[in-house]
Amino acid sequence: MPGIDYLGEFEHIVVLALLRLGDQAYGVTVRQEIELRIGREVSIGAIYATLDRLEAKGYVKSRLGDPTPERGGRSKRFFRVSAKGMAAVNRTHRALQSMTVGLDLVRSCSW
Amino acid sequence: VNLFTPYEQSESILGDLLEEFSDLESKSGMAFACRWYWRQSVRTVAHLIGSGFRGGPWKIAGFVVVGFLLSFFCGGRLEEAVVAVLNFGRHPHDNPYYTWSQAQARIRLIMYGDLVGHLLLSLSIGCIVAMAVKGREMVAAITLAFVLSVPAIGLSLVWSARHGPFLPLQLINPLNGSIMIVIGGGIVRKIRWTAASRTTPVKSAKSDEC
Repeated sequence: MPGIDYLGEFEHIVVLALLRLGDQAYGVTVRQEIELRIGREVSIGAIYATLDRLEAKGYVKSRLGDPTPERGGRSKRFFRVSAKGMAAVNRTHRALQSMTVGLDLVRSCSW
Repeated sequence: VNLFTPYEQSESILGDLLEEFSDLESKSGMAFACRWYWRQSVRTVAHLIGSGFRGGPWKIAGFVVVGFLLSFFCGGRLEEAVVAVLNFGRHPHDNPYYTWSQAQARIRLIMYGDLVGHLLLSLSIGCIVAMAVKGREMVAAITLAFVLSVPAIGLSLVWSARHGPFLPLQLINPLNGSIMIVIGGGIVRKIRWTAASRTTPVKSAKSDEC
């Protein structure tokens, strides 16, 4: 459908991590959440590249927090999912669900 | 990381790296934390280069072609320019040297002048390409350096296999030039980063333990 955008695999994972983390979503926590949940080591650069792309599309919004000493006086950049981002994650989720309906994934992968 | 990201983003990335480094250092020790820090930094820079290129591939490709053409055409005229500089103010019919040592000195001047001219030209081309591609200065400079050095690296490998490890100047020059192009890109990036940091001041980093 023209004009309707779905999230890519990693974009989907990052947006779900933001939703899980709520107000505490920034680079470190997003990276750790992904590592914890799916066991995949990702770089901070990959997280920020994806978050910037999502922000450019209007799916996430960011704000700067206060500088903290353990970060060398640098601010945290907190992210949250926008209404447009929520619509995109729901759309992607529904698309994946409809594509998997009727498929017995466990059995079809058993060969 | 500073060289590959906009100012605001680099502050967040460096802050995140430092926070996780401090956390790992207290849990697992300095050696482990340092290994993690450098691995993350290298992977982060690789991602930033990739995403920088994907963000505007045609623009970067266009200016890389411009840089390549500049390097090709200006590089071909370099020796003429050096000789013209050395002959500046001299009458065309004057003999520029009188003894063998003077002739040797003149040849050395032309050779070193050519080398210095080549390095300065490459630095300038790196700066020009980086200035044209705002926000992706290093990506453009690295791409151009890569494009220029690939034929030289290939020829160097063939030469080394046939004639031994000592490469002729014609093969070393493009490699030096590529390094100078990256340095040129870095200079432009650093100037822009410093200008951005003046408009958005933040506190300085804690330390560089690694």
